Amino acid sequence: MFRRILIANRGEIALRILRACREMGIETVCVYSEEDRGQSYLEQADRAICIGGPAPKDSYLRSDRIIAAAEIAGAEAIHPGYGFLAENAAFAEKCRAGNIEFIGPSAEAMRQLGDKAAARDLARKLKIQTVPGSDGVIDDDTEMLRIATQIGFPVMIKASAGGGGRGMRLVRERDDFADAVKQARQESQAAFNSSAVYLEKYIERPRHVEVQILGDTHGKVIHLGERDCSTQRRHQKLIEESPSPGIESRTRKDVCAAAVRLALAAKYSTAATVEFLVDAKGRYYFIEVNTRIQVEHPVTEMVTGVDLIKAQIKLAAGQPLEYTQRMITWHGHAIECRINAEDPEERFRPCAGVVSRFRAPGGPGVRVDSYAHDGCRISPKYDSLLAKVVVHQPTREAAVQSMARCLEEFIIEPLHTTRGFLREVMSHPDFVAGQIDTTFVERVFTRLASEPVRK
Amino acid sequence: MVDVEKIRQLIEMMVANDLVEISLRDGEEEVNLRRPQVVSTGTGMSVLPAPAQVSLVPPPPMTSAPALPLSSSAKHEDLIEIVSPMVGTFFSASDPESPPFVDVGRQVQPGTVLCILEAMKVFNEIKSEVSGIIERILAKNAQAVEYGQPLFLVRPV
Repeated sequence: MFRRILIANRGEIALRILRACREMGIETVCVYSEEDRGQSYLEQADRAICIGGPAPKDSYLRSDRIIAAAEIAGAEAIHPGYGFLAENAAFAEKCRAGNIEFIGPSAEAMRQLGDKAAARDLARKLKIQTVPGSDGVIDDDTEMLRIATQIGFPVMIKASAGGGGRGMRLVRERDDFADAVKQARQESQAAFNSSAVYLEKYIERPRHVEVQILGDTHGKVIHLGERDCSTQRRHQKLIEESPSPGIESRTRKDVCAAAVRLALAAKYSTAATVEFLVDAKGRYYFIEVNTRIQVEHPVTEMVTGVDLIKAQIKLAAGQPLEYTQRMITWHGHAIECRINAEDPEERFRPCAGVVSRFRAPGGPGVRVDSYAHDGCRISPKYDSLLAKVVVHQPTREAAVQSMARCLEEFIIEPLHTTRGFLREVMSHPDFVAGQIDTTFVERVFTRLASEPVRK
Repeated sequence: MVDVEKIRQLIEMMVANDLVEISLRDGEEEVNLRRPQVVSTGTGMSVLPAPAQVSLVPPPPMTSAPALPLSSSAKHEDLIEIVSPMVGTFFSASDPESPPFVDVGRQVQPGTVLCILEAMKVFNEIKSEVSGIIERILAKNAQAVEYGQPLFLVRPV
């Protein structure tokens, strides 16, 4: 087991990893940028090392400085969290070349599953249904139009190197197609330094259903069930829950089995999430794999009782999976709400500043993951996630009631947050009935659903 | 010609570290920045500090913007702090047998090698970007240093 781990991240996930390490008796080193100097979660680390300026490209994305920090601190492994360098195969290779373990999959497995087009190819080889689309990246725009016509509109243009909803365009009419391709390529080039795009059939009102898997370095993979993350806005998840309220048990079995097969084929180890879309008829389509721990991992932790961060660390240390598939059981229902420092009334514009009052809710089955507290500074330089509220109750009905109460109880002042908006969602009849799909937020909350103001 | 980018970086650093005043002299150029105190309003508004006021001493053209991060220390009013531009191990000499690159009292100018910072088996020579006399050496040989950590105090000449 590692004696000392370096945490190459910030905010709530850094704190989450710090907590897991402390409970395992592992020493911790946390990196920080000049912008994060003085953040209180750093006090939980045995050592904190400044690695650069405020901008992520000057600090949290500086793999050279992060590895140097691990060296001088004597850390044996680096946990990348999510975002930043978590899905950077070159970074994983650099760590291991420097004799530092990267808490994540091999670079090869990361490339195999992390690249969307490559993952789709593998899925198809394994006869896992993917969304009908182009067979990989298409460079010729005339060819793209031909395939789009063949698939049938509406189609989705997607960036191969992308994520987070960027480099994506939905096209309903043939006439709009040429312009949309140009825009998608430009956006992808700017965000990911690659204009490679591919096509997918657009599925109407799908559910977003994702499967959590864990794999060891001895060839075993298990799943920990699914999460339904259909409550999204502009492809950013707002609410996640487990189990999914709107899929048949047959579908659940099938997507979980497909996820395991995919991970096995890629020789994947540590944690990953396999994403699917499920249509109204219960047909499922593989979308992509996230080769990292995810923001919404607590949802699965609550219903299974498995600590995913500790599991990641043990698996990265080479230990065999301590659970067989049979040993994983599910109890009750868990819901997570992401509270962002954003103003829903101002098109979800990110808000920065100092939190003067932070009173998290409590009570039975309530968990709050947050780095914030009274006097905490929220920087405009990083993502706006302020807190994750997770509730776990015996039934979905009880979980919804509990979450509504928690969102009312939660006090975060003076910043604008999405707390009130989420509270509204919690009372909406469609959400209460579990009848949600990825168009739910934009359809129902139309006054809030206009162009996002993203940094 | 005033380097607006440098001023902007200084302002960002002041805000990030909640400093009220910064004074920086680099050769013949002097920059003084002062910020009004930030007051918590307790209203429903996002609280952000007011923009800084800038006063510049009329100047000869400045030397090129340093690659080394600028220090925010207000203690050493007349001294220049040279801080680490990277994470690594500080070495005062090129090898254990050699004498240190610089001692206290040594005159340095732009290009003078001050120390070595090592990371991942790569040894980087750190060169001075200012002219002056070494007043204090703040890091010990073989000490681990982080980004922005002060290494030398230089009295400008």
